Amino acid sequence: MLLRLEVIIVIYLENVSKTYSGGVKANDQISLTIPSGRIFGFLGPNGAGKTTMIKLITGILAVDSGRIEVNGIDIAKQPLAAKKQIGYVPDTPNMFLRLKGIEYLNFMADVYDVSLDERQVRIADLCRRFEMTKVLKNPIQSYSQGMRQKIVIIGVLLHQPSVWILDEPMTGLDPHSSYVLKEMMREHVNNNNTVFFSTHVLDVAEKICDEIAIINKGKILFTGDMAEMREHFRKNESLEKFFLELTHDEQ
Amino acid sequence: MMNNKTWALTKVLIKNGEGLSFKLNTKKAWILFIAIIGITIPSLLFGYIKFIELIYHSLATINQQGVILSWGLAINSIMIFIFGMFYIISSFYFSGDIENFLPLPIKPKQIVGAKFLVTVLYEYLISAFIFLPILIYYGIYESAGLLYYIYGLIVFALIPILPIAFGALIVMLIMRFTNFSRYRELFKIIGGVIAMFVGIGLNFAFQSFAAKLDQNTIGELLELGNNSLSVVTSRMFPTVRWAAQALLDYKIANGLTNLLIFCGLSAGIYIVLLYFSELVYFKGVVGLSESSARSVVLDEDLGKLLKKNSVIKSYTLNELRILFRTPIYFLNCVLINIIWPLFIILPLLITPDDPTQGDLSMLLELLREPKAIGMIIGITLAAITFIGGSNGITATAISREGKELHIKKHIPVSYRHQITAKVLAGIVLSYIGVVILILIMIFLYKLPWYLGLLLLVIGILPTILTSFTGILLDLYNPKLDWDSEQKAVKQNINVLYNILISTAAAALIGVITYVFKSSAVLTIISIIVLISLLDLLLYYLVYTKGTVRFKELEG
Ligand SMILES: Nc1ncnc2c1ncn2[C@@H]1O[C@H](COP(=O)(O)OP(=O)(O)OP(=O)(O)O)[C@@H](O)[C@H]1O
Ligand SMILES: [Mg+2]
Repeated sequence: MLLRLEVIIVIYLENVSKTYSGGVKANDQISLTIPSGRIFGFLGPNGAGKTTMIKLITGILAVDSGRIEVNGIDIAKQPLAAKKQIGYVPDTPNMFLRLKGIEYLNFMADVYDVSLDERQVRIADLCRRFEMTKVLKNPIQSYSQGMRQKIVIIGVLLHQPSVWILDEPMTGLDPHSSYVLKEMMREHVNNNNTVFFSTHVLDVAEKICDEIAIINKGKILFTGDMAEMREHFRKNESLEKFFLELTHDEQ
Repeated sequence: MMNNKTWALTKVLIKNGEGLSFKLNTKKAWILFIAIIGITIPSLLFGYIKFIELIYHSLATINQQGVILSWGLAINSIMIFIFGMFYIISSFYFSGDIENFLPLPIKPKQIVGAKFLVTVLYEYLISAFIFLPILIYYGIYESAGLLYYIYGLIVFALIPILPIAFGALIVMLIMRFTNFSRYRELFKIIGGVIAMFVGIGLNFAFQSFAAKLDQNTIGELLELGNNSLSVVTSRMFPTVRWAAQALLDYKIANGLTNLLIFCGLSAGIYIVLLYFSELVYFKGVVGLSESSARSVVLDEDLGKLLKKNSVIKSYTLNELRILFRTPIYFLNCVLINIIWPLFIILPLLITPDDPTQGDLSMLLELLREPKAIGMIIGITLAAITFIGGSNGITATAISREGKELHIKKHIPVSYRHQITAKVLAGIVLSYIGVVILILIMIFLYKLPWYLGLLLLVIGILPTILTSFTGILLDLYNPKLDWDSEQKAVKQNINVLYNILISTAAAALIGVITYVFKSSAVLTIISIIVLISLLDLLLYYLVYTKGTVRFKELEG
């Protein structure tokens, strides 16, 4: 019982920097701790460095300097073990277009070593919730943008990862699907798991997040909950304008 | 005929990465380029020039050395025709960029014109390898004047036009009629295969027709003296004849006349192609990206669709599915494997009516001689090495991931396993080519079955070799930044590298076969030892350097 209340650090970043070969310093000395049991939003304008940071955490990119741990596992030292902790939904869902939906799901389940019984239950449940069962035998190429996004989400959740990392998950989803996704995110953190997602819309962050970090030009400007954020921006006049721009973004 | 829009479009296509363009922006890429081109090209060229020398001087003894020009042009045209056909099907029908052109106010003939020109540019590579050395060799040994080289340059520039236009006409015609609403993509692929066979078949039909016609006249022509034989050999591709004659008679007016006829015909066929494209091109291309196959899955049926596999098996199957289902990949990686072995059927098709007569029956006799065993095994293994190297499956295995590479970086599958799966896909498909080749040899060429069996077993070694070299090349120099699948495989320098490397390996096997020609056992054992050692070395490199390289790649 005590364990349930204990807050564990799930994602841990220490002085993480990443410069692309073109010379863009996309992440600059970022340190961040993301606890369990929270929906953590990552907010920033286009080009701020959100996707870059997510790619560093998921092991797609290697850090130039600094350290990243997921559930206490160093991604550089034990990449496979760290990757198994994560369910990652990338920002573009256009992948495996030549496969049928069900082939993609079987592939993901094989890759994450999900047993036949488990995948039966999970696929049936997720496909029902996202209304995707009917089209499973069609090629992903024939799916709409939103359907592609949904099949990807289903695929990465099959192995019941404790950490969900989603890059701009709401863009492209219709109201029903985005409601389902939000509901699932909430259920997930209620089981003391973690959801980490990026967005450039303040409104989205405000409605779903327990905690947020704001990033601009590769630097973290703020971390805390919503109330703290408002307070923080009111106090710093120079930041207020930036905040207003983000707010403006939602229209 | 060449208006501004066609020209502008051609430039866009070239800038956009079609055709020959490739970038070498890292130091590693430069080192790779210099190492591969610098070692293989000179040695292959050296062997080729030795070969030209042999032919030239034996022809010169009967004062027919001019024949080498028309032979060179004819072989060049056939190669261009076959490779051009692949290129045209991919570029005219399956490259993603057509979708972008369709909404623009561009006429079909402008798109076809531009894509045709890019194809011509691309095929200059083949001419540079096959025809250019012959042209220069002949020029030097005949002490030809400047005019010969000017004519030569014009011929070089125009020689791809006829075979490519011929191929394009067949392809467009067939694609026009394979445009069924459902399974459109599938029918297009089948259409492409049919087009390829129709084209190759027609070529050989012409050729055997010409051969029959000329059998009696050869003797007469020979008596006429210098270079008269070339008229016969150039019947395969009609315009080759005028081109060859222009070069032979460059000193006299007849040469100029022939050159003008050649230029006129090439321009003519280009214009015919453009007008033809106005009639059929758009009808064959519209709606290609639509996907069909509608079938509804009910909740209760879901269980039947689930299947658990090991990670490597699942990954390999995935690679194969994508290779088979993506038309561009299917044509260039899968089909080419099957086409090469079929080439050896062609000599059977063009023999005279009575198969017991002529060169072929002599060849068949020879194949059953015990002392030919070493040679048969050596040549077949060399052919397998070449075929495996030319399919480009592993040489584009990383490149084909393109912008989706990030998926392969975040799934919890070790890079070692991922490489294994990609290499396995390459070996499986290459081996299918081997099986077809050997079946043809057993059933059509009456190769003794025990030799066939032996070849089936040893044949796995070269497919491993070329799959390993391919994946290493692609790990070091992947082409990930592409917007149409065409660029991942057709404009990928790694495929050329792997062809060069495997040709060099095939040549090495040839040398061994020649050196040990007195003993079949010795030939077979030395080839097995050589390839196994290379396989082991490559295995080591792939799983040490290769995995590290995969880790470093950024998706
Ligand atoms: N592959 C790359 N090569 C070079 N520079 C890159 C690359 N990807 C991103 N960048 C640069 O890094 C910076 C951060 O990009 P990133 O994709 O992380 O932003 P983002 O916050 O996800 O933006 P968005 O809201 O548009 O998705 C940008 O300046 C971008 O131009
Ligand atoms: Mg982003």
